[in-house]
Amino acid sequence: MNTFQPIEILRAVPKIFQAFPTTMLILLASLAFSMLIGAVFAMMSLSRNKVLNAVSKGYVSFMRGIPTLILIFLIYLGMPQLLKQVGIDMTGISLTAYIIACLSLSASANMSEMMRSAYLAVDKGQREAALSVGMSPAAAFARIILPQAVGVAIPALGNNMIMLFKETSLAFTIGVLDMLGKARAVSAANYGATKLEIYIAAGIIFWALCFLMEKGTKLAEKAYTKGRKI
Amino acid sequence: MNFDFIREALPQVLAAVPVTLEMAVLATIAGWILGILMAVARRNKIPVLSQLCAAFVSFIRGVPMVILLYVSYYALPMIIYSATGIDATSVPAIWYAIAALTLDQAAYSSEVFRAALNSVNRGQLEAAWSVGMTTWQAMRRIVFPQALAVALPNLSGLFVGIIKGTSLAYYVGVYEITATANLLATPGLNFIEAYVITTLIYELISFICNRLFRSAEIRLGRFRPKTAA
Repeated sequence: MNTFQPIEILRAVPKIFQAFPTTMLILLASLAFSMLIGAVFAMMSLSRNKVLNAVSKGYVSFMRGIPTLILIFLIYLGMPQLLKQVGIDMTGISLTAYIIACLSLSASANMSEMMRSAYLAVDKGQREAALSVGMSPAAAFARIILPQAVGVAIPALGNNMIMLFKETSLAFTIGVLDMLGKARAVSAANYGATKLEIYIAAGIIFWALCFLMEKGTKLAEKAYTKGRKI
Repeated sequence: MNFDFIREALPQVLAAVPVTLEMAVLATIAGWILGILMAVARRNKIPVLSQLCAAFVSFIRGVPMVILLYVSYYALPMIIYSATGIDATSVPAIWYAIAALTLDQAAYSSEVFRAALNSVNRGQLEAAWSVGMTTWQAMRRIVFPQALAVALPNLSGLFVGIIKGTSLAYYVGVYEITATANLLATPGLNFIEAYVITTLIYELISFICNRLFRSAEIRLGRFRPKTAA
């Protein structure tokens, strides 16, 4: 049995950190896309159309029921097979793009719920007051409702971002060299002799970054809500 | 779509459902008990223990599930070996997965229970004392049922989350739903079929769990404070 060598943890940290840009790229891209998709479904769930409501509800509960790993396998391994039968070739798409697509879809359900509840948290009278002073519905949304809803949503957005960040670690499952992928590669390079130390190092890096994100969220919330009544 | 494959694979994937449920249920029971203890420790601000719990929660919440699984899979045998001299490498992987999932549930549920305990008015405990109940009786009969009613919607989310989390146990070699589907799909490259089956099974499990928790919520609804939120 291998003995545990804490010094190896320190040695592994810089090596794993080399993959930090890849992880960040995945995180930021999926954050942006998941918010876009989430916004569409949030609008659908807030609309008065019953069909759109049902579609949005179905989408959210589907995405909440499927493990992200299965979604990744379904899209990365399954979808190209399915599309080949109808004559579409997907071999040119990069692995990172697949991961970004999967994480965006899986996070979009939470984003949609976050946006919906933030919108509903803004008092109805605000919109009515804005309309009564002659604002158009679009202007009332952009200038009155949205700024208040953003303030409400910041803590949830921070949480969603942290969850998304942790899920980026699944990128290794299809061979992307993100931080965990890099950790596995480093571990394989010495035949797994220090794998425990390397995984602990990866865990510490994730923890430290999550901690920073949590603090960042708190600061952002404070800065944003300062002087606003929410 | 290869329907012969589906017909052949479906019973085998379904046969792996109990493994997934076993992991989820055991980790949930152990994790929630730990979570309640941690919540009580933090609520009563027990020195040292309370800070340790806070650090533990922050750590578990910041580390991805996969890394947690790997660390428990590689570290626990070492810890057991150095502490007792027992060679634990032959312990089935599922127990290491359950250990990792338990830690995860403990951390997340302790936050849920803490918030729920805080939501119960302190006057409830004092009123229970004033009619002669011991602290334990007051907690068990008065405070806990009310806290549970508040906590249940979040606990339901945690349980569905752990069901989804078990899919990662595949990476430490547990043959649960995902691993079985992968194993069956690989020889004939029947990925789409295998993962459609898997998706449907997970969706069904999530749906049933949501329903069960929903009916529990309705039953416990009588413990909710009557005042409007």
